[in-house]
Amino acid sequence: MASPAGRIRPGRYLGFFVLIVVVAYALVFFTGGGKPTPKLGIDLQGGTQVTLTARTPDGSAPSKDSLNQARQIIETRVNGFGVSGAQVVLDGNNIVITVPGPQGEEAKKLGQTAKLNFRKVLDSAAATAPPTPPAPNSAGATPAAIQQAMAVRQAPALVTGSGDSLAAASTAQQALTAFTCPSQDPLQGNDDPNLPLLACNQDGSQKYLLGPVFLPGTEIADAVASPPSQNQPGWTVNLTFKSAGSQTWADFTSKNIQQQAAFVLDTQVVSAPTIQSAIVGGNTQISGSFTQQQTTDLANILKYGSLPLSFTPSNAVTVSATLGLASLKAGLIAGAVGLALVFVYCLFYYRLLGVLTIVSLAFSGLIVYAVLVLLGRWIGFTLDLPGVAGFIIAIGITADSFVVFFERLKDEIREGGRTFRSAVPRGWARARRTILASDAVMFLASAVLYAIAVGDVQGFAFTLGLSTVLDLIVVFLVTHPLVAMASKSKALSNPKLTGLGGVQHVAAERRARKAAAAAVKEA
Amino acid sequence: MASETKGEKDSIFHRLYVGTGAFDIIGKRKRWYIFFTALVLVCIAAIGVRGFNFSIEFVGGTQIQVPGQGSHGVITPAQASQVFASASGTQPSSAQTVGVGDAATVQIRSQALDQATVTKVEQALFQQLQPLGANGQPSQQSISDSAVSASWGQEISQQALIALAVFLVLVTIFLAIYFERWMALAALISLAHDILVTAGVYALVGFQVSPATVIGLLTILGFSLYDTVVVFDKVKENSRGLLGLTRRTYAETANLALNQTLMRSINTSIIGLLPVIGLLVVGYFLLGAGTLQDLALVQLTGMLAGVLSSLFLATPLLVDFKMRDPKFRQQAERVRARRANLARKAAERDAAEEDFDPTDDDALESELRKEKAYAAAASAPARTPRAHQRRGTRPSGKRRR
Repeated sequence: MASPAGRIRPGRYLGFFVLIVVVAYALVFFTGGGKPTPKLGIDLQGGTQVTLTARTPDGSAPSKDSLNQARQIIETRVNGFGVSGAQVVLDGNNIVITVPGPQGEEAKKLGQTAKLNFRKVLDSAAATAPPTPPAPNSAGATPAAIQQAMAVRQAPALVTGSGDSLAAASTAQQALTAFTCPSQDPLQGNDDPNLPLLACNQDGSQKYLLGPVFLPGTEIADAVASPPSQNQPGWTVNLTFKSAGSQTWADFTSKNIQQQAAFVLDTQVVSAPTIQSAIVGGNTQISGSFTQQQTTDLANILKYGSLPLSFTPSNAVTVSATLGLASLKAGLIAGAVGLALVFVYCLFYYRLLGVLTIVSLAFSGLIVYAVLVLLGRWIGFTLDLPGVAGFIIAIGITADSFVVFFERLKDEIREGGRTFRSAVPRGWARARRTILASDAVMFLASAVLYAIAVGDVQGFAFTLGLSTVLDLIVVFLVTHPLVAMASKSKALSNPKLTGLGGVQHVAAERRARKAAAAAVKEA
Repeated sequence: MASETKGEKDSIFHRLYVGTGAFDIIGKRKRWYIFFTALVLVCIAAIGVRGFNFSIEFVGGTQIQVPGQGSHGVITPAQASQVFASASGTQPSSAQTVGVGDAATVQIRSQALDQATVTKVEQALFQQLQPLGANGQPSQQSISDSAVSASWGQEISQQALIALAVFLVLVTIFLAIYFERWMALAALISLAHDILVTAGVYALVGFQVSPATVIGLLTILGFSLYDTVVVFDKVKENSRGLLGLTRRTYAETANLALNQTLMRSINTSIIGLLPVIGLLVVGYFLLGAGTLQDLALVQLTGMLAGVLSSLFLATPLLVDFKMRDPKFRQQAERVRARRANLARKAAERDAAEEDFDPTDDDALESELRKEKAYAAAASAPARTPRAHQRRGTRPSGKRRR
């Protein structure tokens, strides 16, 4: 140590800490709108959170680029809804959509891949509708199930040549007859555009044998929902193609008059109109059995483009404001109870030092709150229920640094026979090392957890790690100076107050024993 | 042992408080090994036989929460599950009221339903039960729902396991740098013990395992390790320059360190556990099963296992590992030889002194003084009993010469 024992200036440390607190609170109150509340997670304030997990046909990890692209598209979709405060973030292979407040229901539909493709209908047959409502078991969408479905429903042998005519009629027909509409399509959004496809329409009443994609959805320039009119009994989506797409569409329609073209959305045939005449000009309509809401959603989704990946909703949670409030209350009460229990124990066990612990914990709470508010503003950190749990568990860790220090003081008094006053600098020098090492382990645990784990965990890991760092600040700048000051005051270092009488007594006994031994020596 | 006479005088708590405890933990380590082996075997058997009770996140499903108060009075789980069944066409797997007072909610769980069905159920629940929202008015917005796919829990847990692996590697590096190889190994073995025992308790009692549990487990590792770090820090400090001296063996040094940090470990555990217990109780009464409770429960179990292992498993293991090193064995041998030597000398001296002349006043006086010094030395704590004995014997040896 550069400055030897006993010559620290407690006032300076405390002053520095007060400065930190003042600056932090100045930032809280005078910047960023000055609303002194931390950002709350949806489980504490109510809202909807949907976690979408990317699903690739072969189970390999999706590329970072495509995930980012998907995130951006979903973000534009969310903004298309006009909800405020919504957030779309990437979390590992997941995209997490968070919509605060009550209008989040629609967020649950945002994960639709919306791959619109145009295929030629080669054959079709009536199908029996699958039993409803089947439990959508997304565990069925394993890579194995996808591969299996692909092998059966996308067999290249179904078609010949460039894919616009049926293979040997018997093979194709057998396949079509054998095919039943699945209740939950493992292929959904994952079909290979270069291969033929066996697919059903939306209500599962019709099944189709389709040729390879001749026109991909990426050629769509714009999509608009259009209300029913005289020619159109239901809601339709009007599409405008880009120039290349427009050309392909014109070619196809002129070549295939009186044939059917299928609009396939996420491996499901939404409409299969019969081509009456060549369509030139780059516009067309999709008409299915849509409600107004569905057409608007579809148009919206098509306009912003399809996702480069297909997603399954892994976790979709809507928390009512009532439940959120109850959780927040429960978290706060649990924190208060935890703190109170620790206070009582410290007072009982450490007496005056216990009071210092309480003061330190209070300061710690003060700075934690400010940092929480500021991090909410700066990096969008939201405090959720696991985060609250992290803080509560960290109370123990923070208090432990004090315990390490105080027990060290007792060691010094007992073993070294020192007074309270002279024990403080030595005890601190040694306790500091232990506190640093143990906080490093704890911080390591939370940092690893934060970096790797997904879901709610991150909030927990973040608050735990944050508390560990703030604990160091408080123990260095508050607890140690306070103890040093107390040790210099006659009144405060009274053994009755510090509870160190017992240890001093032991030390005194040892001195007496030593003296006795020395007496023998002299004899 | 010297301190045992003192132990009779002071209560065990006083001994703990002032840190003169002198509990022989290292000496009885065989017993602790047997205890821990049995514990771990029971836990492995429990995991193998009973398995885990996985939560909705692992099996997939839908959960709907309705406020416990409706405009027609209290909503019972039976009412709610009836409405649920008629609206969705499937029977819920469970329906229960959680929490108390204003915070009470009815929780209905079922197999996974699609979004349209969930909306239908929510509408039916709202129309038939009129649950009251935060403002006291019935509202459909007061109904919460969550739908989890079967793979979600697995994904969270998988990531958690990866995190565990990374953490273990980093911590091994940290410990090996900060301490030494054997300390790192002993700490890791006690970590493995903590994981197994916590998992075993979960299997045995049938507590629900949710992703929050898996996460909680990870932080306990931090906590348990943290406790071990403190004990080892003291061992390291006490054993500085040990090999050059013949005062104490490594085992005795470690035992001393354990005793010195015993109160801290107990205090830390109590202070760590108090908020966790608060969390558990408050979480249970106000929210029912959920994240708070899952985290708190796993922390409670793990902290107990952690403090047990860092005191009674990690340090004994460290001693055994150290004793594999011939340097430490030789040093222990030297300590033994020296003590045997001293004991022999003392015995010789006692034999020689048997025939002192009580008529010689001087001799009597010095002998009495010596006896007094022995008595005082006898009440010295275990830490330095030999040192006191030496002080007692050396002058007598000098005097004889």
